Amino acid sequence: MNAVKKVLKAREMTALLFLAALFVVVGIINPAFLADSKNVANCFNDSVVYILIAVAMAFAIFIGEIDVSVGSNLGLVAAVVGTMLQDGKNWFLAFFIGILMGTVVGLINGWGVAVMKIPSLIFTLGTNGILRGLMYLQVGTKQVTDLPIGFKGASSYALFGLPLTVCFFCVLLAAAAIHGVLTRTKRGRYFIAVGDNAGGAELVGIPAIRTKVLAYVICGVLCAVAGILFASRAGQVTSQSGNGYEMKAVAACVLGGISLSGGVGSVVGAGIGAVIMASISALLVFMGFSSNFDSAITGVILITIVVVDALVQRRAAVRNRHARLAARTTARTGGKEAAEQ
Amino acid sequence: MSGIFPKLDSQNGLRRLWGGPNFRWNLFLLALLLAECVVFGAANAKFLSLNRVFIAAVGDLPIWFISIFVTFVMITGGIDIQSCAIVGFTSIVIGVGWQAFGMNIWTAAALGVVVATLCGALSGFFVAYCGVQAMVVTLGGSFLYGGLALLVSTLSGTAAYNGISGFPDGFKALAKTTLFGVVPLPIVIFLLLLLCAYLLLHRSKYGRKVFLVGVNPQAAEYSGVNARAVVMSTYVLSGLAAGITGVVMTSQLGIAKSDLGGNFTMMIITACVLGGTLSTGGKGSVIGTALAAVAITLLRFGMPLCFGINKQYLDIPIGVLLVVVVVGRAVAGNPAVAAWLGRLRPKKKSKAGA
Repeated sequence: MNAVKKVLKAREMTALLFLAALFVVVGIINPAFLADSKNVANCFNDSVVYILIAVAMAFAIFIGEIDVSVGSNLGLVAAVVGTMLQDGKNWFLAFFIGILMGTVVGLINGWGVAVMKIPSLIFTLGTNGILRGLMYLQVGTKQVTDLPIGFKGASSYALFGLPLTVCFFCVLLAAAAIHGVLTRTKRGRYFIAVGDNAGGAELVGIPAIRTKVLAYVICGVLCAVAGILFASRAGQVTSQSGNGYEMKAVAACVLGGISLSGGVGSVVGAGIGAVIMASISALLVFMGFSSNFDSAITGVILITIVVVDALVQRRAAVRNRHARLAARTTARTGGKEAAEQ
Repeated sequence: MSGIFPKLDSQNGLRRLWGGPNFRWNLFLLALLLAECVVFGAANAKFLSLNRVFIAAVGDLPIWFISIFVTFVMITGGIDIQSCAIVGFTSIVIGVGWQAFGMNIWTAAALGVVVATLCGALSGFFVAYCGVQAMVVTLGGSFLYGGLALLVSTLSGTAAYNGISGFPDGFKALAKTTLFGVVPLPIVIFLLLLLCAYLLLHRSKYGRKVFLVGVNPQAAEYSGVNARAVVMSTYVLSGLAAGITGVVMTSQLGIAKSDLGGNFTMMIITACVLGGTLSTGGKGSVIGTALAAVAITLLRFGMPLCFGINKQYLDIPIGVLLVVVVVGRAVAGNPAVAAWLGRLRPKKKSKAGA
């Protein structure tokens, strides 16, 4: 019973309910949407890249920082891995190099933010520019399109005729595993602790700087994996690939109940937010809107959710303060009142 | 007037200018500008033609116009990444107002600026009065206003990617006119805006309030400053600047498009940070931002011209510049390094003297 209550009170619940409501509303407006399970499944299948990138961003946000280089990091890895596969190099070598690149980018970001103590937005904005430029160097005006069929098919492979792909289940499993590590293990909880109160975390013996660097490295690795998946799903990489994903990732995290001030939220929330972000354009099509509404509606949803969240939290804070005050005053006069009653 | 603007004692003012925290940084930026001129000029004499520099400058207008007002936002501790979307929105409002609703072009332009200011005010309201993080609100704003621009553009007969064109010559002349035959009008507008921003931020009571709110909002509130109104006003100002940019760019290109603001967000933030504005708030100067914006434009103009670097690669040098500057400042701010520099200082002075 307690566990159920806890789940219902979790911040991610709002996002999950919102996603469900979104599906139901679209289903009511256009019954064709829910009639075919493939439509809903496609929303999930299309969101794998977003989920990974949102979870990556969540790590940066947990520790109270931000990483706006995720889009370029994803794009660069996709370009490099894509080019290597196009040239017929060994798959595992290509994947290894891609993930290594993501790690290096994460290390550099972590060094700048945690060790040099540079505001993360500024530093990652700089690395974002550098990575984006490197990507132009790699791809140029051409496109990486000649990817092996097997590689392109791998991400849309489904077992037992299920509408959901194996790839989606893997991403789901990975997100669940990360959530488990973050909430159930000592080292996993370091991230939230550092984001909640870096000074306090340091005082109780948590290596704050090392944790922050590690968060950025994990973020970089996840971006690299997302980049490989992106190349596989999109089937082509241009110099614009991944552009603007950093904003969508932040939006997904915020939708999923992660506070940008750090220390609040979960990767599950980020994943749900990512599904919402990825589904909006498909859902709009089913509701009969043109895709022109896409970003305006995204903006309205994002602003509404954060404003409502901020107002609710402020009310809760005021109520808590009143409750504390009341408790303190009854503690003093409590004996008398109890006797009278 | 003297009530709003504190009297400027010239000698004292000069000393204050010299000893001011931003002055040495501004000197460094000036040196950077000179170095750029020397290096690029030596590589290709074409770089030194004033006309070409002005053309490049007019192309980078969003960076110049918006960054000096985003500086206000950053001084209060916020950030504004929605301006580029507002530029496009303004442009579309002008185009649709003129084409689909048959407005006078100047009325449409005024309407565009008003809409842009309202956009800024809306985001500012959410940041200041609802207590949502500036980054999130302006991120949502960039989606919202960019999306609204697309939606409004469907009201016109032309496809969104073509844009609305065919504006009257009088409107196009706004950007084409040159003062004294060399200085394009947009540059003059920029200088006027810069003067306004300078007076507002560094020479008025309002400016002191902006800094105070950035240093410590609670203290500002307790000392009778309406901190929320001040925070909101900075977003209104940056929206206004984006609106003016939209008008000038629409006039300059002779076309109204929803993506007119382009991808200048990174450059704008870079200009602010390079100009010495602390992203945590409380410190910054519009002169520094303006110098940094000019430095970025020269870099974006000089690199392709002198070293044949493709325009698309320009993100690399600007990214490197940003990272080097922030890392350099962090290193210089490190107590150990500062002490080491302090020991070096006498030597440095003699070097500068020689």
